[in-house]
Amino acid sequence: MMSRNLLVAWLLVVSPVFVIVGLLVDARMRRAARAEEAESIALLACRLPTSDLALSGSARWLRAVSLEEPGAAFADGPATPDPDPAGGAMAPPSEVWAGVARQASFVVVKGSR
Amino acid sequence: MKRALVVFALGALARHKARSLALGGGLVFAVALVAAVMFLTESLRAEAERAHAAQPDIVVQKMVGGRPTTIQASEREKLTDILSVRAVTSRVWGYVFVPALQGNVTVASAPAGATALSVANGVLAEGRDVTQGAHEMIAGAELAKSFGMMLGDELALSDASVHAHPLKLVGTFRSSLDLWTADVLIVDEEDARALLDMPADSATDLAVSLANPDEARVVAQTIGERIAGARIIERDLLARVYHLAYGRRAGLVLGALIPAILALLVLAWDRASGVGPHERKEIAVLKAVGWSTSDVLWAKLFESVLVGAGATALGLLAGYAWVFWFGAFGLRPALVGWSVLYPHAALTPAVDAAQLLGIGLSVLGPFVLLSIVPAWRAATTDPLESMRT
Repeated sequence: MMSRNLLVAWLLVVSPVFVIVGLLVDARMRRAARAEEAESIALLACRLPTSDLALSGSARWLRAVSLEEPGAAFADGPATPDPDPAGGAMAPPSEVWAGVARQASFVVVKGSR
Repeated sequence: MKRALVVFALGALARHKARSLALGGGLVFAVALVAAVMFLTESLRAEAERAHAAQPDIVVQKMVGGRPTTIQASEREKLTDILSVRAVTSRVWGYVFVPALQGNVTVASAPAGATALSVANGVLAEGRDVTQGAHEMIAGAELAKSFGMMLGDELALSDASVHAHPLKLVGTFRSSLDLWTADVLIVDEEDARALLDMPADSATDLAVSLANPDEARVVAQTIGERIAGARIIERDLLARVYHLAYGRRAGLVLGALIPAILALLVLAWDRASGVGPHERKEIAVLKAVGWSTSDVLWAKLFESVLVGAGATALGLLAGYAWVFWFGAFGLRPALVGWSVLYPHAALTPAVDAAQLLGIGLSVLGPFVLLSIVPAWRAATTDPLESMRT
């Protein structure tokens, strides 16, 4: 009984080491899988104006942080709410947008491949 | 003897379940929060830098009245004879705001003669590259989904220029490349100019590639002398932009979390330092049957080590799983940014052993050290007085 408790205690003590090793192995596998896409990413990047991540597409001044002016906030549509009131740090309340009249601004014509 | 004390400490934790859970739970939560923010930040920096190498060495923009504007294509000629400049390309790209999506579509032109994008080279999920002059486009998977488009469908953006021709979708990017392509439309240069209403003698910016990238600073100075009002962006400086941009966001999130983490640590400290009557009696009995102050001190320290180590392990695991296995729900919009056309691609971990050990030791070390005070107080309790009270 005592030896089982001792084993549990030692397992608890060394558990951070097991977890760290496990996470490093998982991270390495994921990085290796991503590395296989390196050529695709390089090919794609040549076509893009910037390597900035597409994380804030609702605001031009945040979309390409390396090429734009991150501090120059302004609303994208006349009299519309600022889509990034906190500078991209958090989303605006979605109900704010409910008051904005949506208009059909694109037309999709279904066709064959 | 120490082994017996370790076993006793484990037993004591089991006997005081509520206290152990309050301590351990608080620590797990604090470690998971801090670890998740760090994992996500490092991952985003690594993703942003992954495509960095393929970017031009220098980008030249034109400023008028302190704001970026289009640059005359003829300015290109002023740069071609600079030593070390291998090529100067006029780039046509920009944004078209789509109110129905509440977002901008990034329109980029496909330069003639560029390597074709295809399913075979892993860039496209389906379809093929655009054919010059055929009014075709490639869209990000998220964008095509938002428009409800399939291959062969045509798109007319009414918010774009009146000269724009409807564009036929001939390819979509792989969803694993969503981080760069979620809001991107690739078209040929003629269609890009029509969509963005950009005259033939203008360009959004000039991309300069150098024979020796180490000379970027010198070439940038020469460009500044030759083009008045130019805004020159060197590729090597962009890594710093990413570092600052994501570091600032992580700092904001961690700053917002400080009160919560402090509250948890105060709770944990309170539970650790408060010796209840039951525990006081237990210690008194131990000392009465012959335990020394040192034995009690060691037993209490082992309790802290067991709780701290277990909670650190669980916290690291929870933080990692939260970000990389479950998509960082709740945390991603706060740290990453917000957009309607939002990339959902999984992030790749950029953590290393030093970072994981750093997080673990920064929590475990202070926790064990701080537990010495309550352990000492418990160990020096007079058994006779404790039994009487």
